[in-house]
Amino acid sequence: MESVESTEENTGALSAAQRRAEIRRRKLLMNSEDRMKRIVGFAKNEPENNGASRRPTEPRFHLDLDRTEQWSSSSSSPRPSPFLPEASVFGSRSHSATPERRGSPLPGCSDSPAGSHDDDVGGVRQRPRGERASDDISGSPRRGLQKYLSRFDDAMKLRGQLANEKQPQDGGCDTEEFDPFRVFRLIGSILLAVFVRVFVCKYLSIFAPFLTLELAYMGLSKYFPKVEKKSQTTVLTAALLLSGIPGEVINRSMDTYRRMGDVFADLCAYFFTFILSNEILLFVGSETP
Amino acid sequence: MAAGYAWFLVLGSVFLCNLMKTLLPSISSFLTKMVQKDAEQESEMRTEIQEMKKEQSCISMMDEFARYARLERKINKMTDKLKTHVKSRTAQQAKMKWVVNIVFYILQAALMISLIWKYYSDPVTVIPSRWIAPVERLVAFPTGVAGGVGITCWLVVCNKVVTLGLSAMG
Repeated sequence: MESVESTEENTGALSAAQRRAEIRRRKLLMNSEDRMKRIVGFAKNEPENNGASRRPTEPRFHLDLDRTEQWSSSSSSPRPSPFLPEASVFGSRSHSATPERRGSPLPGCSDSPAGSHDDDVGGVRQRPRGERASDDISGSPRRGLQKYLSRFDDAMKLRGQLANEKQPQDGGCDTEEFDPFRVFRLIGSILLAVFVRVFVCKYLSIFAPFLTLELAYMGLSKYFPKVEKKSQTTVLTAALLLSGIPGEVINRSMDTYRRMGDVFADLCAYFFTFILSNEILLFVGSETP
Repeated sequence: MAAGYAWFLVLGSVFLCNLMKTLLPSISSFLTKMVQKDAEQESEMRTEIQEMKKEQSCISMMDEFARYARLERKINKMTDKLKTHVKSRTAQQAKMKWVVNIVFYILQAALMISLIWKYYSDPVTVIPSRWIAPVERLVAFPTGVAGGVGITCWLVVCNKVVTLGLSAMG
């Protein structure tokens, strides 16, 4: 009997120790949960709202200049937080990625979670980026604030992107890209300038052969392999993107701008070679203008 | 009247400016080296740290802990000193780069303004006006001389060509 009592006491003591250990472990676990929640961006009172108004702070907007599909495809697709697999679609629609927004929750968000979700669905962040701001049904001050804050997030992300891209640019020292077609164009312009100076300029304006050459280049361009040029996010493109112009339109404009730059480079090379050859001919004295 | 070699003078100026622009980082680093006399001290510190680390790797921490710790403290002290040194050198380098850039751009602006001033009314070269029709007025700007090539047009053309040439060479 004594032995049985002693074993019971032992188990009682053990169980008490185990209980204490278990309590400690749970406490630690709860703390870690709290910590995780704080990292993810939940307010402390949010679990009381049935977790419905959970908002992970993961940024959900991604700007990509090469993207050609509609803006709405990415802006409307939910991106759940990696920390919260159980988060609902509503919960995954984050409001902020900035500390400013985390520190100042929108009025009414915590009071009526369901209502806030409805508002979010119809809010600014849900409409396709290609649409105009005037397409919004209502322009309440809260929507304006949301719009401003979302733009602020985008601007912060673009700033980071620009800062990342600036480092290689500094090392590159604004070098011009020379693809085979560009080299061909420049050589053709130089040769034409010499030819025009020697044979054509007595009868014709020097710009007529140049325009003909440019037309020929336009036709020839399809026979040259297309070089994929890396689109760089400049301040201008960032500003255009933030003002709501789709990336595809900006890419096309940049392409046109690049072509105009190429024509200007050809013209400069042509005119320079023409003047140079004229001066050389004058210096040699073989010809007088 | 068109000065005989005005076009060449402008071309040479633009070429020199662009060449200097590409050499600016080298010039600023060279000047920094000239100004900083204690570059050798830094390399000495580096070698000293390396040697101490090598020595530390030969010592057993368990057997000779005191010696090991002493060496560790020495290395830490030297590394901190080196860090401070490098920081000050980098700051000085950045300052020098900034000064060199500012001086260069001021000189370039002065050169361009003086060239434009000099050839404001005289074309850098003259060709028959029908050769450059129908943009002879644009090409001659601001001289107004028929068939003349104005300084602005020639500066733009030279700048583009020199940039292309230098980037092709680079």
